[in-house]
Amino acid sequence: MSQSKQQVFRLKTGGRIDRSRTLSFTFNGQRYQGHPGDTLASALLANGVDIVNRSFKYSRPRGIVAAGAEEPNAIVQLGSTEAAQVPNVRATQQALFDGLAACSTNGWPNVQRDLMGLIGKLGGQFMPPGFYYKTFMAPASMWLTYEKYIRKAAGLGRSPMEADPDSYDHLHQHCDVLVVGAGAAGLSAALAAARGGARVIVADEQEEMGGSLLGSRETLDGKSADQWVARVLEELAGCENVTLLPRTTANGYHDHNFVTLHERRTEHLGETAPVVNGRRPVRSRMHRVRAGQVILATGAHERPLVYAGNDVPGNLLASAVSTYIRRYGVVPGRQLVLSTSNDDGYRAALDWKEAGCEVVAVVDAREAPAGDWVDAARAQGIKIITGSAVIEAKGSNRVTAARVAKIDIGAYRVSGPVQELACDTIASSGGYSPVIHLASHTGARPTWRDDILGFVPGLVKGVHACGGANGTYALGDVLAEGVEAGVKAAAATGHAAQPVNLPSVERLQQGPAVALFQIPHEKSTLRGPKQFVDLQNDVTAAGIELATREGFESIEHIKRYTAMGFGTDQGKLGNINGMAIAARCLNRSIPEVGTTVFRPNYTPVTFGAIVGRHCRDLFDPERYTALHQWHVERGAEFEDVGQWKRPWYYPQKVNGKTETMHEAVARECLAVREKVGILDASTLGKIDIQGPDAREFLARVYTNKWEKLAVGKCRYGLMCKDDGMVTDDGVTSCLAENHFLMTTTTGGAAAILEWLELWHQTEWPELDVYFSSVTDHWATMTITGPEARKLLAEMTDIDLDRDSFKFMEWRAGKVAGVPARVYRISFTGELTFEINVQANYAMHVWQTLFKHGEKYGLTPYGTETMHVLRAEKGFIIVGQETDGSVTPEDLGMQWCVGYDKPFSWIGKRALTRTDTKRENRKQLVGLKPKDPTVVLEEGAQIVFDPKHAIPMPMVGHVTSSYYSPTLDSGFALAVVKGGLKKMGETVYLPMADGQVHEAEIVSTVFYDPKGERQNV
Amino acid sequence: MSNAATFDTRTDTAIPVESPLAFSYRHSGAPRAGSSSRVQLRERAMLGHLILRGGAIVLDEAVRDVLGISLPGKPQALVQDASGERSIQWLSPDEWLVIVPSGEEFPLETQLRERLGDSHYAISDVSGGQTVLEITGEAARELLMKAVIYDVHPRHFPVGKGVTTVFAKATTILRRPSEERWELVVRRSFADYCYRWLLDAAAEYGVNVEQ
Repeated sequence: MSQSKQQVFRLKTGGRIDRSRTLSFTFNGQRYQGHPGDTLASALLANGVDIVNRSFKYSRPRGIVAAGAEEPNAIVQLGSTEAAQVPNVRATQQALFDGLAACSTNGWPNVQRDLMGLIGKLGGQFMPPGFYYKTFMAPASMWLTYEKYIRKAAGLGRSPMEADPDSYDHLHQHCDVLVVGAGAAGLSAALAAARGGARVIVADEQEEMGGSLLGSRETLDGKSADQWVARVLEELAGCENVTLLPRTTANGYHDHNFVTLHERRTEHLGETAPVVNGRRPVRSRMHRVRAGQVILATGAHERPLVYAGNDVPGNLLASAVSTYIRRYGVVPGRQLVLSTSNDDGYRAALDWKEAGCEVVAVVDAREAPAGDWVDAARAQGIKIITGSAVIEAKGSNRVTAARVAKIDIGAYRVSGPVQELACDTIASSGGYSPVIHLASHTGARPTWRDDILGFVPGLVKGVHACGGANGTYALGDVLAEGVEAGVKAAAATGHAAQPVNLPSVERLQQGPAVALFQIPHEKSTLRGPKQFVDLQNDVTAAGIELATREGFESIEHIKRYTAMGFGTDQGKLGNINGMAIAARCLNRSIPEVGTTVFRPNYTPVTFGAIVGRHCRDLFDPERYTALHQWHVERGAEFEDVGQWKRPWYYPQKVNGKTETMHEAVARECLAVREKVGILDASTLGKIDIQGPDAREFLARVYTNKWEKLAVGKCRYGLMCKDDGMVTDDGVTSCLAENHFLMTTTTGGAAAILEWLELWHQTEWPELDVYFSSVTDHWATMTITGPEARKLLAEMTDIDLDRDSFKFMEWRAGKVAGVPARVYRISFTGELTFEINVQANYAMHVWQTLFKHGEKYGLTPYGTETMHVLRAEKGFIIVGQETDGSVTPEDLGMQWCVGYDKPFSWIGKRALTRTDTKRENRKQLVGLKPKDPTVVLEEGAQIVFDPKHAIPMPMVGHVTSSYYSPTLDSGFALAVVKGGLKKMGETVYLPMADGQVHEAEIVSTVFYDPKGERQNV
Repeated sequence: MSNAATFDTRTDTAIPVESPLAFSYRHSGAPRAGSSSRVQLRERAMLGHLILRGGAIVLDEAVRDVLGISLPGKPQALVQDASGERSIQWLSPDEWLVIVPSGEEFPLETQLRERLGDSHYAISDVSGGQTVLEITGEAARELLMKAVIYDVHPRHFPVGKGVTTVFAKATTILRRPSEERWELVVRRSFADYCYRWLLDAAAEYGVNVEQ
């Protein structure tokens, strides 16, 4: 069976479909058949499916109008399974495949018998333009409720609730010339540029490249247009410098010729990517193209005429009628009435007649049409009614008749008697609108041209428009313009032009078109039947007229008030008509009214393609230390610190139960205080600083002094931004007279290196110093606690005697047989050795430490324990105690500020400002909760008087707060206004639940205030 | 000597080492797609990596004397010795990456420092901090296009070029030592991310990981 019985509107021959194969698909649960080469839309028309959706606001039945991206009605939800759901697919752009399952995005319970229709008809009266703003915006709190109701009623498709089985990605492309559109203009441009040797990318949104040539009546070199297309594509495909991307929509044109192309790689094959040789190809791909030059050969969209009832199924664009007949072998009806303002529209009538169906009449708005196609229509015996238009389509679920009358365009009125012509299809043509969307994305305003009755793209540097996109429609001119654009673009990227012999094209005689947008009706626009301008957003001519009456004059305001050109539609069919109507109502010209800005995306892009591979565990880099494997095996919980995964704590199983974080941290803290603990500190930033001026440079970027730091010694440094606020801290060691190793905070490593380079390169280039990041080179293992020395002594040749290797010194030697630098510094307040080895040896050293450490109770601890231990000692963490508004003095760290250094340093001047000298600045203090079982909330606001009327003056907040197992009490660090002079005073922390905590202001050092433990 | 501390971080005893991808092999495996693979991945682990900073004129003569290859003065240039085992890559106007066989980096640093005397320059050993991922196979270039924003077309990225660029969301060095071979120099802590990214992106081509 070559042809299915059901496909009653399918022609026996013709079109680019493969009748030898039959594909089965479902639409709204009903099974239909089509052929390879069909779109979902052409297959639905072949099966006589009139209603494909319900309209957004009025819930009116809607049918297919167009054959391409501009289709406003046939927007469907795809997917037979939950995981495969795809919303907002245009049926006109979806290739048919076997098993395709689609349903309408609108209409409940179904499009044929729509319950919402009644509400819509009622609601429509209550939903004039501006309805949302007028009704639903107040009270604002109710908006979410309204929105839910409106969305359910309106449809708009839905996203899948299950994980997508497919993969998506990005491809970074670079080319000399990007050609958007592979019709006559695009192909000739690509040919010219490619022959010149330029790297060319050709992107075309359709299933097949060739554009309007695929269904053209015209011949090139005496042969059918598709033969020329095939020949050109063959040549382009053979060029190594050309990339052809079919099924690829240029969806956004961004700055500097950066264009995003959305390639649908497998959407024509199935609802999920078919597995080939056990591999699942990428379903959708975003090409991120950086182009030297861009050629916009995006063609033109035919403009429908705006007449009453123009949304009833059976109203189509004239060009769409031709495309369905010539390309898909489908006649979308039996009896046609064509309403046109120009010669091009006649093609639909000719194609209809040649397909063996009845053309009831061509209704031409012009008094005396003349031209080759008009003559052809006359020769075919087609009845032509001149000076007239279809003023109204009759019918509800399908057109049943066209009401035709003489019209006076200048006076905007019906000027003769109305006759009713029985028909099931009305095609209309109001001329063409160049597809200027991409050019508009660049911000360039389009220009109106009276001669073509349309806007042509405003162009920025490096962009060429040609063919229909440029308002050039005669095939010979289109080809020539394409070649010219290709040559120019190639030349602009340094490629010499090569001759392209244009095919010979018969020049058509065409009569001038007439400017016609909205058709007058016997009744006024506001009183007559609805005339739709934007079918997708249910915007009527009356709505636009009402908007102008309510005082909206700017087209941008009218757009927002009426929702014209909103959302996925982006005004493809309706915008120019809408502007023309606004212009008529405002008594201005169209260019005076101007156009709205079209925005990306041209058609909807799946989120998968936007996200690409940057999702799930590849969403963001996860940085691991050389010891990560060990932490994972030990069951560590991890904390994100910048992009690093750091062990947070290591819960153990005790009596079959896994410790809570609180239990684990208490155990780890006590192990450090009483025995010995070990921390993977590899993530700290490390910057290797070399040069004779290294010491001087340090003195300028740190607040404290560096001139006397001897080789073998380490010093804590505090770094401010030029505003005097603390930005980083860490220990820097003097490795040799001209050689230092700086450590930075984990999160600040990259930024601090940049900061150093910035100051060196821009302010102090005379200083001889170089910086290199060595963060990843070294693995750092911190052993800390009373037993640390004994443990390390077992496995190193370094003399660890307290007098020969003092606190704040470093030594080189071997640890576990591996060359190591060991730093005696401390962030816990305990005796500490930081062992640094080349990262590739880290695992060996770490494991050896544990071999020796068992008898000392060596306990791994994570960042949480590290935080508790350092807070007990009052050691700050930049970014926790500081927030970019805290000076060294606010922290009580005057000991770390070299006020009398000979050369100025970053932040010094800012620290002399009145504001930074203020006495009541927020200053870092310790807080001891009156109730030791209370652990204050970090971020909790502090007040002096909890009985003060609300709003109470807030005087600070808690920056760090923990339970200390050593102190057996909660404790906190906080910033409090003038806090350093309020030792012993009580502050209050009112909580959201009404509780008020009391705490005493104390020193920031809670443990071992003399620092004896780290010095042993 | 320029009064800097040098330190040989390697030991010649039989102490086990772990390359930056050791963790990745355990957790993500090392796929073998066999002869149908269109991409091959290989870690060139444990090589000697030095960052050289200084003026080109100061460094060039010393580098030529010691290493036998000249310092690339041209931006984004990569030069190699005849064996291809030793290379110098331009990173910035006063910064070069030297990669040499395992263990050669310390003697090289020592010799360079002797040769450079009191000039102002810096040499930093980063051998433990980065690794080289070699990518070969017919789909290698397209695979790179998925991750790297830089133009890898042969007209724009000929053999002997190297750039610092973005790989997915990580900073990497990308270089092309020969017609069919690409090298990513990745930092140790980002190596697993890059490896997983490469495996995921290369899955559709079939990928062979040589260990």
